[in-house]
Amino acid sequence: MTALAVRGKTRKRINRVTLILLDIIVLFIFDFPILWMFLSALKREEGMFSMPPKLFFVPTLFNYFNLVERGALLYFKNSLAASLATVFVATIIGIMAGYGLARGNFRGKKNLAWWIISTRMAPMVAVILPLYIIFRNLGMLNSLTGLVVGFTTFTLPFATWLMMGFFQEIPRDLEEAALVDGADKPQAFFYVALPLVTPGIVATAVLCFVFAWNDYLFATVLTSGKTQTLPVVTSALQTMRGILWGQVMSMGTLIFVPVLLIGIAIRKYLVRGLTMGAIK
Amino acid sequence: MDQKDWARKTPFGILRKKPSFEAWLLMPAVIILLIITIYPTVYMLYMSTIKYSTLPQVPSQFIGFGNWIAMLTDQDVWSSWWTTVLYFVFALGLQILLGTAIAILIEHSPFLQDFLATALLCPMFLAPVLVGLLWRFMLHDSYGVYSYILRSLGLLDKATSLLGNINTALPTVIIMDTWEWTPLIMIIVLSGLRALPTDIIEAAQVDGASFFQQLRYITVPLLRPVFIVALLIRSMDLLRYIDHLMVTTSGGPADATKILAIRIYENAFRFYKLGYASALAITLLVVIIILGRFFINILGIEKEEVTL
Repeated sequence: MTALAVRGKTRKRINRVTLILLDIIVLFIFDFPILWMFLSALKREEGMFSMPPKLFFVPTLFNYFNLVERGALLYFKNSLAASLATVFVATIIGIMAGYGLARGNFRGKKNLAWWIISTRMAPMVAVILPLYIIFRNLGMLNSLTGLVVGFTTFTLPFATWLMMGFFQEIPRDLEEAALVDGADKPQAFFYVALPLVTPGIVATAVLCFVFAWNDYLFATVLTSGKTQTLPVVTSALQTMRGILWGQVMSMGTLIFVPVLLIGIAIRKYLVRGLTMGAIK
Repeated sequence: MDQKDWARKTPFGILRKKPSFEAWLLMPAVIILLIITIYPTVYMLYMSTIKYSTLPQVPSQFIGFGNWIAMLTDQDVWSSWWTTVLYFVFALGLQILLGTAIAILIEHSPFLQDFLATALLCPMFLAPVLVGLLWRFMLHDSYGVYSYILRSLGLLDKATSLLGNINTALPTVIIMDTWEWTPLIMIIVLSGLRALPTDIIEAAQVDGASFFQQLRYITVPLLRPVFIVALLIRSMDLLRYIDHLMVTTSGGPADATKILAIRIYENAFRFYKLGYASALAITLLVVIIILGRFFINILGIEKEEVTL
């Protein structure tokens, strides 16, 4: 009896050790590349290419200074402007449409919702291709406005769908009570429904920002030169002598860190946002 | 239903005398999406019937079904479809399996569950284009840290470049995508696991069900709706994003990683065969929408279960 108990205990301990080991392995696999990006950004070119790779070295901000010197600030501004403008357009119009879909009562509502969500599924090239031709005819290529239009093609359906879910969650009774008390529909929307979905609005806005901020394909086709965004510039750090890895890694860090921080900040809504509200 | 009644229930048709407040709210989104998604798609349909000329003095030529016939008889396009299927099936399968396994691992971890779950999310936040660049750096033949590790372990010979070899390029980009998106599956499944009713599992444990029996007969069936959502989201995005491929292999070597989306990009923006690319893009669009509809229909049937 005691022997059995002891054996059970040992097994439990072995299980525990195995689990912790597995955790460490998984953590290493998924986070080492990110760590490597951070570290490489702090190395001088000669340190980056040493074999075997160095884990310990004297860190330098050389690469970051180099970025500033090369005018990365302009591209940072472009990225920020395009992403914020997209968030502004997509979130505001998405809130309105989301409410309309959640509360509206008319024919073809289901089809309309389905159509809106299917625009989010379209492969990016299939959206970029006609936009490119249309923008070229209109002379809208290489403008941030054009880029914002491009970003809106996928953030607006996303925001609409997500907001629809957030609105559906608040009980209709609250708005109906306001209507009974003499408020009109716009007032019920503004003063009753809207305040209740504030966290949802923040989550939606943040995710729209991340999608726009991280985009490469739209920006690489629709912009060039002075209107490029950070991801495009990063991928273009290839010179005649090879790729400027130090700058790629520091630029990568600059793109990644803000997204990571806001991603963690809205962790609670992350699953919901990324599954478009299917899982809450 | 008489005519008047019907008119009242149409969203914002001209027939309607006074659109409701909800319809007014919907209008901007509908108008914008009509202009920036429907119109371009229709335009693309038109584009697919012409031979596009990049020179201003040479007019584009109407060729009817020319692009479509060319597409159907193009061996390269068919092989791209095959590559797409391989990429899709293996990446999706790996991500679902690994993501589920890791979610279960975290759920059973003795401590720091929340820290682990958050720390593992990192790759997902990295812009896909950076994923490509980072892996390209780490897999570089002469100074890549992963190449170094693999060679030290004797798993990779000196002559082989993982992204540059016909046989290893596709598996490598699949692993790259898996690295970035397994965390998404993990967090979806984890939230599903945490919402499971504990009494059923406890009952099974009391009845002496082993870990794998619990998994096979209780956890996985209960998580079915969660898996369908994960499949839906990932299958859309797998075919949507090509950023990471564009900066690593851009379809090469020798078309080994040329999934259809990359072939479209290449035809459109490298060869400027915009008409031909349009025909390809429409095909991909239709396939994805059918696939999406399929998953959503399954979801719709199980709607009640989905809201976890």
